[in-house]
Amino acid sequence: MVEKKEYKEWPPFAPGTHLHDSDIKEKKVNYTWWEPEVQYSWSLGPAMSKFLQGLKNGIIYGIHCKRCKRVLVPPRSFCEYCYGPTEEWVELKDTGTIETFSISYIDADARRIEEPILIGVISIDGASPQHGFMHYFGEMSKDEIKIGMKVKAVWKSENEREGSITDIKYFKPLKGGAE
Amino acid sequence: MKEVAVIGGGMTLFRRRLKETGKELSYLATKMAMEDAGIQKDDIDMVVMGSAPDAFDGIHMKGENLLDGAAAAGKPYVRVFNGGGTGVFAPIAGWWHVASGVADVCLVVCEEKMGSCYPHPQTAFRHIWDPILDRPLNPNLVWLFAMEMNRYMTVHNIKKEDIARVAVKNKRNAVGHPCAQLADPNITVEDVLNSEVLAWPVQRLDISPPSDGAAALIYCSKDVVHKFTDDPIYVAGVGWNIDSTMWTNRDLYFPRYVANAAKMCYKMAGITNPRKDIDFAEPYDPFDYKELHHMEGLLLCDKGEAPILTREGVTQRDGDLPICPSGGLLGVGNPIAATMGQKVCELYWQLAGKAGKRQIPGDPRMGVGQAWGDIMQMSTVIALRRG
Amino acid sequence: MTYGEKQTDPTAPMHWRGDMQADYMYPSGIAGDKFFNHLKEKDTFLATKCKTCNKVLFPPRLYCEDCFNEIPESDWIEVPASGSVKNFTVAALNAHGEKLQEPKVIAMIDIDNTDGALLGIIKTNDYEKDFSGLKVKANLRPKGKREGTLKDILYWE
Repeated sequence: MVEKKEYKEWPPFAPGTHLHDSDIKEKKVNYTWWEPEVQYSWSLGPAMSKFLQGLKNGIIYGIHCKRCKRVLVPPRSFCEYCYGPTEEWVELKDTGTIETFSISYIDADARRIEEPILIGVISIDGASPQHGFMHYFGEMSKDEIKIGMKVKAVWKSENEREGSITDIKYFKPLKGGAE
Repeated sequence: MKEVAVIGGGMTLFRRRLKETGKELSYLATKMAMEDAGIQKDDIDMVVMGSAPDAFDGIHMKGENLLDGAAAAGKPYVRVFNGGGTGVFAPIAGWWHVASGVADVCLVVCEEKMGSCYPHPQTAFRHIWDPILDRPLNPNLVWLFAMEMNRYMTVHNIKKEDIARVAVKNKRNAVGHPCAQLADPNITVEDVLNSEVLAWPVQRLDISPPSDGAAALIYCSKDVVHKFTDDPIYVAGVGWNIDSTMWTNRDLYFPRYVANAAKMCYKMAGITNPRKDIDFAEPYDPFDYKELHHMEGLLLCDKGEAPILTREGVTQRDGDLPICPSGGLLGVGNPIAATMGQKVCELYWQLAGKAGKRQIPGDPRMGVGQAWGDIMQMSTVIALRRG
Repeated sequence: MTYGEKQTDPTAPMHWRGDMQADYMYPSGIAGDKFFNHLKEKDTFLATKCKTCNKVLFPPRLYCEDCFNEIPESDWIEVPASGSVKNFTVAALNAHGEKLQEPKVIAMIDIDNTDGALLGIIKTNDYEKDFSGLKVKANLRPKGKREGTLKDILYWE
């Protein structure tokens, strides 16, 4: 039976047992270890398929939504705001502007790394303002990187490209005019 | 639509790893909420479970796994999930159950066991990124927050000192909260600014920890509330909104989805001037800059004004607009969905005058709680009022 | 027009491959810890008695999910590591859908003196047999080699 408790302060106490890392390492508590073996094969869909093919050929594609008057990148089969199908592929430039960035000293598993990774969002020239994707930055130091900096993609060599976002190695500062 | 009152709340200890299983944690939180309300399992008509990705606990379809501990065996039951927004979304779903008239008494339970994921819960977060565009870059979720924080700081020209003040306020507020994981009565702005840089501009003390924990909340309809209390706390309004997954196509400096959810909630609650009508708020603060970001999203101040209010002490517990009097996620812990404990349960305990050492002075009558989730997308807002 | 376009290029990429990269440590919990620590030392199981529902719950737990009462320490009881087969199946494929070298008999075993059951593998040479109702005993790993997991039960026979 649960009876009403009239404590003055809520929560009155904190039920639960703290487990320290050492409890696990020294097997002071009982546990079961499990390594999942799940694999995936995701369908790309027509839009991503063409985008990745474009990257393999050294081209960044965007797509036009006529109703919203937006050129979208990354391209998609339908516009998520007006909810209609997108039309016409647009070849975009491989230059852009840094919208935001971070200087990371941790990797994907939260492990510490010595040399920081420069990562951020680049809005691509030729697409609508503030439309772009996330990628690495290179050939610049953590003191040089700035929001608003103009950058250019550095591509892998043609035979190294495999149709992936990593066909672009990183974006470097765009100095002066075109290279 | 029926009026819905909150009659009980409960939460467990929050720590990086707890020994109890998910079911046992759910049981401990539910039992406390039932003791607060003075009810038993038979009095509960329906149960809502809120729990964030299965990938943390590592049990697929964990809603089905947890229900025994959530007093749901043999009852109508549903599990809801929208990432970090679940902590306020589960109470919203519970509200639907009672407001629609299909239940008189509804229990809401939220549970999370992030400690089960190895090598670190961040590894489970690897899988929220788009597999084609983002995952090949091996991103860490902290990078995403760092990018948003950078944008917010740059657009409004905010200094890190003003953001660090939020971490100091919340970790000090958490002192005396029995469940708190990172309460610290002596922490200073210098401590935060000197902490390890993880992904600039985010430093270690800017972030809330991953945690295990559970929380529970009990609703009843106005028709039966007289059986439980003479001074009911009602749900005044609810709102929720989500923005597109294409986060690289949005300007991250202002969370418009929070504003949309807040407008929906305030319309229902009759709040026309949020700064004046709302007495205190519990916005979601997984990172210190997020509290400021969300204060502006909740329309509690103008864009760029939140750091100024923090600097001036307005958001302290004894200030004009207390923000996160519980200690928030930065002080108490961040077991994703179970943050309902410091968000919605805290609103209820503050309004009912039961918050003990954390009680804000004066006579608060309207509190707003907010949670945020997914890839800079989701926001859920709830308003509770006294009487 | 992406939806209207026909995919005519056979070299166009269609799929993206990946996997799940997390590992898991599941603590057995307060009740589970007690159950497995007992099994490490003894050749019997532990169960919990719910006096309100008048049921012996197995696997043992901290609370009864039906009446939601907490079960005190004093209501933990020892039961034999034996039972009878409630129902069973003979599996020809493994978890990945590959053919097993030897079929596996998997049974739901009602544990003696409890109202609960456990999933287990039955050791046998006769795969045509009807195992329903068969009385079985757990064959446990030798004491000293037990790890405190379900795998300490090697098989039932």
